[in-house]
Amino acid sequence: MTTLSSDTDPKLLVARNRTTNRGATYKKMSPFSYVVLVAVGFLSFFPFYWMFVVASSSPDVISQSPPSVVVGHNFMNEVAAVYGQVPFTRNFLNTLLVCLSVACAQVFFSSLAGFALAKLNFLGKKWLLLAIVGTLMLPSQLGLVPLFKILVNNFNWGDSLKALIVPAMVSAFGVFWMRQAIDAQVPKELLEAASIDGASIPRIYRTMIVPAILPTAFVLGLFSFLASWNDYLMPLFILQNPDNFTLQVALNQLNTKAYGMDYNIVMAGSFMATFPLLILFVFVGRRLVTGVMDGAVKG
Amino acid sequence: MTPDSAPSPKGRRGARVSGSPRNGKPAKSWNSNKARETAWGYLFTSPFFIIFFIFGVIPIIYSVYISLTSLENPLDANEVFVGLKNFKNLWHDPEFWRATRNTFSIWFFSTVPQMVMALGLASILRNPRLRFRLVWQTILLVPNITSGLAIAVVFGQLFGRDYGLINYCLQFLGIGHIDWLENTLASHVAIATMITWRWVGYNSLIFLASMNAIDNALYESASLDGANRWQQLRHVTIPGLRNTIVFMVIMGTIGGLQVFAEPLTFGGGQTTGGSSGQFNTVTLYLYRYAKDLFNYGYASAIGIGITFMVLVITAINFLITRRIASED
Amino acid sequence: MAHRNFVAKFTFLLAALALLVGGLVAAPAKAASQVTINIWTFGNVIEPKMKARYEKMHPNVKIVAVNKGGPDQLAQALIVAFQAHKTPDIAAIETSWSGLFRDYPQYFVDLRQAPYKADKLKKDYVAWRWAQGTGKGGEVIGLPTDVGGLEVAYRVDLFKKAGLPTNREAVGRLWPTWDKFIEVGKTYNKKLKRCVDKKKDKSCFIDSSGTIFNAILNQGTEKFYKGVGQVDYQNRQVRNAFNETGKALVAGLGSRIAPYSGDWYAGMNKGSFATLLAPAWQLDYIKQYAPKTKGLWDVAKVPGGGGNIGGSQLSIPKAAPNKAEAWKFMSWYLAPAQQLTVFKEYGLFPSAKSLYGTSAVQNYKDPFFRNAPIGKIYASGALKLKPIYEGPKERAIMAIFGQALGRIEAKKQNTSQAWNQAVADIKTALNR
Repeated sequence: MTTLSSDTDPKLLVARNRTTNRGATYKKMSPFSYVVLVAVGFLSFFPFYWMFVVASSSPDVISQSPPSVVVGHNFMNEVAAVYGQVPFTRNFLNTLLVCLSVACAQVFFSSLAGFALAKLNFLGKKWLLLAIVGTLMLPSQLGLVPLFKILVNNFNWGDSLKALIVPAMVSAFGVFWMRQAIDAQVPKELLEAASIDGASIPRIYRTMIVPAILPTAFVLGLFSFLASWNDYLMPLFILQNPDNFTLQVALNQLNTKAYGMDYNIVMAGSFMATFPLLILFVFVGRRLVTGVMDGAVKG
Repeated sequence: MTPDSAPSPKGRRGARVSGSPRNGKPAKSWNSNKARETAWGYLFTSPFFIIFFIFGVIPIIYSVYISLTSLENPLDANEVFVGLKNFKNLWHDPEFWRATRNTFSIWFFSTVPQMVMALGLASILRNPRLRFRLVWQTILLVPNITSGLAIAVVFGQLFGRDYGLINYCLQFLGIGHIDWLENTLASHVAIATMITWRWVGYNSLIFLASMNAIDNALYESASLDGANRWQQLRHVTIPGLRNTIVFMVIMGTIGGLQVFAEPLTFGGGQTTGGSSGQFNTVTLYLYRYAKDLFNYGYASAIGIGITFMVLVITAINFLITRRIASED
Repeated sequence: MAHRNFVAKFTFLLAALALLVGGLVAAPAKAASQVTINIWTFGNVIEPKMKARYEKMHPNVKIVAVNKGGPDQLAQALIVAFQAHKTPDIAAIETSWSGLFRDYPQYFVDLRQAPYKADKLKKDYVAWRWAQGTGKGGEVIGLPTDVGGLEVAYRVDLFKKAGLPTNREAVGRLWPTWDKFIEVGKTYNKKLKRCVDKKKDKSCFIDSSGTIFNAILNQGTEKFYKGVGQVDYQNRQVRNAFNETGKALVAGLGSRIAPYSGDWYAGMNKGSFATLLAPAWQLDYIKQYAPKTKGLWDVAKVPGGGGNIGGSQLSIPKAAPNKAEAWKFMSWYLAPAQQLTVFKEYGLFPSAKSLYGTSAVQNYKDPFFRNAPIGKIYASGALKLKPIYEGPKERAIMAIFGQALGRIEAKKQNTSQAWNQAVADIKTALNR
């Protein structure tokens, strides 16, 4: 077992737990790894690319066999058609508002609850954790209609974005994940040291827990954001006025065929709705790698 | 002093989650003030419970109540209390058990390869000498953001029996074409493929985030001790990921047993799960009884049946995984 | 500290966004007596140009037509909306859902009452389409929009290859009954020899023989219900339809391609099927997805005379906030004059039978289909159908029969086995 000389310095210990760039330990990347990444990347990206092909071509692109993989010229026309059908920018901003709120709330509340369940001792803690994991096992379709009635009739949030944000502000998934992360990444010794120094629990949360779980928090935030972005059923039931729509519901509006689908415009809308997320990923991805280092240096 | 959840390269039996005692006695708290700890403990977990109670629990209680009634169409609102009749019917329902078998089969095909792939991808991604890291990380998430409509179109084309791309390629390989829709096993593989495609990147990033948190010094000392890549994986990475693996297994089980959108899409929007129910899943069955057959009482009973199944399987999975991971 | 910056940044971002969206969402000042009519629709039931025309004629009325994504999503959303007592002013209900909603007239405005007096309009529309908007107690809960109709679209070039006549009158004479239709199909498959599984570019007689079931059912007088609350899915007409379809399935008439699937669109282009039981609006699909087959298709009369797939009713839910204005729009939109405009501009076949004799309908020809007199053919078909009572579990029963036919098609069961299992399945599903 290695004895760490910086054992007793809590800050450095936390920092050490997160460094990843000790190049000496890592061998050079094998070409096989790159082959795997390219293959997986291709498979992951191809449907998205094909979505753009359909969005930019004429309707009969869908009936080609083997399928056409050449991008067409029609994309800007379809974009115009999308804007003609729905207030797209507004829907985009609605979705952004909902997703950011949900992501921030979920990360915040999950980290609090996760901290409590991982490191604090209180009566009934074990049962609480089991209850939280238990709630994950309930199929969400079960309570959909009663939930809708509560939101619309009791809270009067019909056609309001609040109905999408508030119930989603907490997540058993997030709490569970944060609990696992905090449990694994924050050593007891650190907390003991801080407690001996007289730090209050909120202070410990702020100064020790949060820096340690930043990468996890980012990923959780990203996933909460995504889950909210992809949410379809609740917004479909709740939102009535097209001005209040989120993107998934707005995409519905694009289909002007009663049976089957108006592929070109729907794919164009889908593309327009998901492309900004790629930019988000790049932003968050950078943070995932470098944010870790910032935290370590500033301590 | 060693952080109690970071195992040594040579492995350490019984590395345990902090707070859970080995000998039955409550763990010694790191905090000196127990009352404060308790107060903050409740306070920090209260937002979750308040919001979840209102928007999660109450609907569930209502559904449980409904499962004990004969409520059919919710527009009727004249339910009669029938006790456990729905559950008795469920127990003897061959279609429910077929859906259960299908669900497990699909779960197996979609979870096992996926976890292995996700782990492998994360190992590749964690190497700091990887070039174009941002590109790979972004691309891996693309399947998760591709809209459901687009997935329906793309995979509908891919798995077409006569003109789908996959069968087209298989013909070149001499395998001839497969009836993805009608053949039971093929339909499970097709649906599992859709699920894996959508989630493998997502899961690999979860692994990556957790891997990045493993103390690098452990890898250093392992390689100093002469461990090669595989041994490092087995003795440093996997134990260090123990919590994450437990988490993933539980989430994978829960999610897998509730798979519903993919069979619905695969069947062209039909809720029957195939002409002989060959790719019917339990959650799709619930959906069918709620939305197409208008029998809310029975649908709620199915939902509760699913919950019990998930509970049992998750518990089993958890115990198995914990045992395996701690033996390392 | 990184964390504090992080939280601060996000809070700021959120606040900025909230202001931005809040500013955008702030409702514009309304004109004094402006009314907004909310319509839930799907597909192209509410044509945008017609909507704009009405708004121009009535400057104080704004129509917001929300597309719910499809007929099924709309119906599900409506059921939820009924329970929450928050509904739109007008809802479009597709014909396959009419059976359900006719059983719940209490959730709709009975348009027979004053000031609507819809009874007076009954004579304008085809009887069986009007019946689909009639509640179980005789209430008028919906007015019909268009007629789907059903005739046979066939490939002239493929018929020629199989030695069959190509002129549409002659083709129509080939199959006055479904038995004859099946015979023609067998001849086609035998002659062309390409309807074999595993062969590329195969060509079978029809896309899916299963489509015959619905066609035959709609030509009768009874489906799955004898009357209100009286389920009867084993009656002679259903049995006959099932057995006839079974004959076609067993004879391997179809290329086993489900409509609206990936293979179906590709199949149109590749000539995978020589015939298609097509409602009027589906002809548009052929034009869009197989434009290169222009001039290769024609339209002939369907065996048995007439048929229907699709169409919808416009209805006013009881909880609608603006009933009077909704009715004004609805009755205008569905009046024969406007239905004629919609037909001329968009090709949706009218349900107002007074239009069937007009030159606009009778002389309507489509160059894509070798100048077939589409209007004439579909009009005569539409007049042949009779009202059929549909009940709440209509769709569910249909889906189970669909499964049974699928099993015959996949050679998993023979006709009588499939029938027996279907009957057993329906019994279980309905009696839980």
